[in-house]
Amino acid sequence: MMYMKALWWKFLGVAILIYVVIAGLAWPLKPGIVDVKSSDAIAGKSVEMQVEGYNTNFDQANTRAWLELDDVGYLTAKEVSPIDYNHVKLIFDLPNAFPQGDKIRKLDLVLHSAEDGESILPSALFVNTENAQIGDEGWELQTLEGITAKPGVQFPYRPILNETVRNTFFHIPLWFSMFIMLMISLYYSVRYLLKNDMQFDIRATAIVNVAILFGILGIITGSIWARFTWGTFWTTDVKLNMSTIAMLIYMASIILRSSIQDVDRRAKLSAAYNIFAFVALIPLVFVIPRLTDSLHPGNGGNPALGGEDMENTLRMVFYPAIIGFTLLGLWLATLLIRYETIKDKWLSRKI
Amino acid sequence: MNLGRIFTIIKKDFDIELRQKYAVGGIFLFAITTTYLIYKTFNKVSALEWNILAWIIVLFAGLNAIVKSFLQEKKETYLYYYTMFSAFEVIISKLIYNFFFTLFLAVVVLGTFTVLLGNPIKDFPLFIKVFLLGILGISSVFTFVSSVSSTGNNNATLMSILALPLVLPVVLIMERVTAIAMRLINDTDVDTDLLMLGGIDLLIVGMAILIFPILWKS
Repeated sequence: MMYMKALWWKFLGVAILIYVVIAGLAWPLKPGIVDVKSSDAIAGKSVEMQVEGYNTNFDQANTRAWLELDDVGYLTAKEVSPIDYNHVKLIFDLPNAFPQGDKIRKLDLVLHSAEDGESILPSALFVNTENAQIGDEGWELQTLEGITAKPGVQFPYRPILNETVRNTFFHIPLWFSMFIMLMISLYYSVRYLLKNDMQFDIRATAIVNVAILFGILGIITGSIWARFTWGTFWTTDVKLNMSTIAMLIYMASIILRSSIQDVDRRAKLSAAYNIFAFVALIPLVFVIPRLTDSLHPGNGGNPALGGEDMENTLRMVFYPAIIGFTLLGLWLATLLIRYETIKDKWLSRKI
Repeated sequence: MNLGRIFTIIKKDFDIELRQKYAVGGIFLFAITTTYLIYKTFNKVSALEWNILAWIIVLFAGLNAIVKSFLQEKKETYLYYYTMFSAFEVIISKLIYNFFFTLFLAVVVLGTFTVLLGNPIKDFPLFIKVFLLGILGISSVFTFVSSVSSTGNNNATLMSILALPLVLPVVLIMERVTAIAMRLINDTDVDTDLLMLGGIDLLIVGMAILIFPILWKS
């Protein structure tokens, strides 16, 4: 039982990861609007829109539809006729009065039903208001009533991201746990230089090795994600290239280790290089991408994790995933540490 | 710490450089030959290519030059240093010497470039700022890595494997700011780039000074 006590965090890590994989892949996405086909929209005329939904139940639900003009009001659909579970036909009578503004106005589409909850497509319809009067007749000025969320837990639906939003639980936590492990490794490298204890060198190296593995997995998951959202496996995005350089720096440290035979000298040099590499890593991954434009969240003014930027349902899986991957990584590292320690003992006994 | 003692080491390095003319001559020959090769193959070089090629040649010439800064020292010399100077004095003097040596080298390379291929730089004050900061970054990374690989297996290949990834952020910012100085890209926020370059330089120099005394003991 004493042995089991020391193992609890490994079980915790595995349990969390099982939860992450099952919850992250099994929970459905919220219903959303994929695409809208519409005829020309001219103010004062009637417009027919064919809407393609995702995860929707148009044929079973009593769907209501509105067009929203920003800061002005809503327009209720004259006719909502479902075609099948994910197609619906909407007919709107556009008013001949628009408030002062651009010639081409963007309208957002809002769908709601008790079964599917609310789904919104921004800029769903472009209306030519060249010949329209100025005013707001025909628009419902009050806010929408009776809007409810779909019952149960779902991840948010976003155009372009679609189902790949689930990669949030793998790609990002892998990088997070890589950084946590590199920090732990930095701590052991500093302790080695202060104490000259071989055990610290073994720990620092093992953790760096696992961190590199996680970094490579992070690049692979990110690359696959990029293929389905940005269109290519590799882009000129700063953060991508900076992390590749960071990986190269750490891989160089492995080469450095393998090139030196003397154990003490090897330990000392790789500890020194590890500290230096971490210092070089900070501007590479945290400073430079933040100052230039990047497609990544948190850079170039894009939203990231704070406040309203991430839905709470995503957080329910995302934060456990970071802890789970870190614990798994540390477990892998302890295996390496044990292997190296035993090898060390065996080699010294042989001599 | 003693300025006079630091100066003594610098002077010794300089004397050795003057005595071993083949080493320094070889580096300059490398720089000029590559520039001439570029001139003959490209005939006309656009500002963008000028920027990239010039910095790459400075980078590799600097690598060749600094690799020997620690490697050339014999074990006996180290022992002698150890009895005479503190680690701090040695690393500071090496950093200063290598900075000026790389600076001189870079001036020669860019001078050859200007003569053969013209000079597309429009904003000279900005270019001089990024030039000094960038050379400081390159030379101090190479000095640190040279000290690491000299305590290792005296392996020059090891040096380039370790040094090139580490020096990449400095070179990337340098190329960016140089492009701004050539008016290739517009950026009103160029001071942030310079600040960042200075920050990276400070970090590198600081780490080199902190870590060298520990390596030195072996």
